[in-house]
Amino acid sequence: MTVVDHKPAPAVAAAPKVKAKARATGRSSAATWIWNLLGLGFALVMAFPIYWMIITTFKTNKDLIAQDPTFWPSSFSFESYKTVLNDTEFWPSLQNTLIITLGAVAMGLIVGFLAAIGVARFNFRGRSFFIVTMLVVQMVPLLALIVPLYVVMNNAGMTGTLVGVMLAYLVFTVPYVVWTLRSFIVNIPAELDEAAMVDGCTQWGAFFRIILPLTLPGLITTGVYSWIQAWNEFIVANTLLATGGQKTAMAWLTFYATTPTRGADYGAQMAGALLVSLPVIVLFVFFQKKVSAGLTAGAVKG
Amino acid sequence: MSVTTDETVIRSEAAGPVPAGKPQRRGFFAAGLHIPYAMILPAVIAMVGMLAYPLYRLFDLSFQNVNRYAYLVNPALAKYIGFDGYTKVLGDSEFWDVVLRSICFTVELVAASMVLGMLFALLLNRVSPWVRVVCITVMMFVWAIPALVTGTVFRWLFASNGGVVDYLWFLVTGDESVKHYDWFADPTVGLYAVGAAVIVWGALPFLVIGLYAALTQVPKELMEAAKLDGANAFQAFRHVTVPVIKPFLMISTALSFIWDFQVFAQIFSLRNTSPEPGYWTIGTFLYEKGIVASKYSDSSVISIAMILLMLAVLVFYIRQMLKIGAQDR
Repeated sequence: MTVVDHKPAPAVAAAPKVKAKARATGRSSAATWIWNLLGLGFALVMAFPIYWMIITTFKTNKDLIAQDPTFWPSSFSFESYKTVLNDTEFWPSLQNTLIITLGAVAMGLIVGFLAAIGVARFNFRGRSFFIVTMLVVQMVPLLALIVPLYVVMNNAGMTGTLVGVMLAYLVFTVPYVVWTLRSFIVNIPAELDEAAMVDGCTQWGAFFRIILPLTLPGLITTGVYSWIQAWNEFIVANTLLATGGQKTAMAWLTFYATTPTRGADYGAQMAGALLVSLPVIVLFVFFQKKVSAGLTAGAVKG
Repeated sequence: MSVTTDETVIRSEAAGPVPAGKPQRRGFFAAGLHIPYAMILPAVIAMVGMLAYPLYRLFDLSFQNVNRYAYLVNPALAKYIGFDGYTKVLGDSEFWDVVLRSICFTVELVAASMVLGMLFALLLNRVSPWVRVVCITVMMFVWAIPALVTGTVFRWLFASNGGVVDYLWFLVTGDESVKHYDWFADPTVGLYAVGAAVIVWGALPFLVIGLYAALTQVPKELMEAAKLDGANAFQAFRHVTVPVIKPFLMISTALSFIWDFQVFAQIFSLRNTSPEPGYWTIGTFLYEKGIVASKYSDSSVISIAMILLMLAVLVFYIRQMLKIGAQDR
């Protein structure tokens, strides 16, 4: 794992320096400009859907229903946001998502961190079996489990409850957290916590002073990743909450887009989509490097 | 190292003597045999409760006739029908259409996203640093947009009325008739062109950034040596770059396969929550059968088929991951 997980991030950061040197000795500046134009073209194509999404939210009705699309709104309007924010289901569904996400991240981190220390610091019977299981489990498609999960939760009386969804998310958070944190903890030399204990720390002291601080970057990576997964998850939340009258923001978004009155209101749909994605975008921009490194380490995505 | 009686017994049962020179428990909590088990216990409970037991129920359901919600609410109605459910689903030509479509679609997606990802990663390797920063920033935003939202955005981009793609096409060709082209009327176009565009667009950030990071680890000396030996750009790429980035290349191909094979949210939102049969890949098919139509037993059979298909391809990947994982200790 070490080969894969920690290197990509520093490489991204260190690259510009290396490249600048290579360019100075090698390629002509004319060629570089052709590549630059291609690169900007690529960035433009990638960015366009996002630009379109944002610009649509500010369009007036006249622009929205125009036969030919307008690339810049004739006048800016906040009607779309007003519509979304006045929707009585918007805030409750956002609140549900927040509760589920916080619960899923907290549970996933606690359960996964404990197990990660277990497999990284102890050699016990069944250890390799446990690690291999965690790896294989990540490949079971969540979608394939949706029906039995619903049946099991239904029998336990947990459909329609937020806790049921949080528990269901353990399927993808725990294996990822164990697999990723394990490689972080393995890289902390056992001599460090031994030294702390020789110096008079208790075992818990060694944990809080050595292991916890040194694993913190890993905890942030896996926490952010679990957050994104839980926040964006739709199908499990939608299915398990179908009976209880509760909704997550993602489910709200799809229902919103399909209600007869809102179905054609692209401006409001886009405003809703943007508001719902915002917490993830912000988190992603802040923790960008950690997330890209963590994703390659844990080997899963939704 | 102190070996307790307990441990001696367990060890001799397992694999003979304790390996010499490799201390068993060191550092944090270096005592107590039960401790590691206590630590993995919550994870084991979670995995059994949320995965193993549902998987068992999946198999159980696949041998029953639970194809209506009433059967689920009133278990007395459910009965075991053996392999009838399997013969029913596997004998249905629609199922095989969906499987074939999923395979074709997955192959298209994996090939397209890997080739494009590689090309753009190579491009990033060539551009000036400021262009690279622009590209990476844009990709970070793309990466952060939820899959469900990307489908909605592309539905609007490709709309036949007021859609941008039609309009751009009209601006280029000047042909009025293409202006209101309905991309979704023909599922083949809708899925393999628009659907693929949504998914590849969403997948590129991870691939480009990951592959670019891998490319920066290719030693400059090796590339120069290859050039000196008379290799052209393609030969140098094939014989120098590819072997160096092979581990990441394999992992990202396997990951693309995992994501693309079970793709659901993008198609679901692209077709405004009710994809037509022509858009059914195995993920959407499962949802339409299992959740929308309440065919719990039928969809269990489909789920099992999906898991088996996926694992068959991934055995190779798992072995590779274990090899890499083994280097840790």
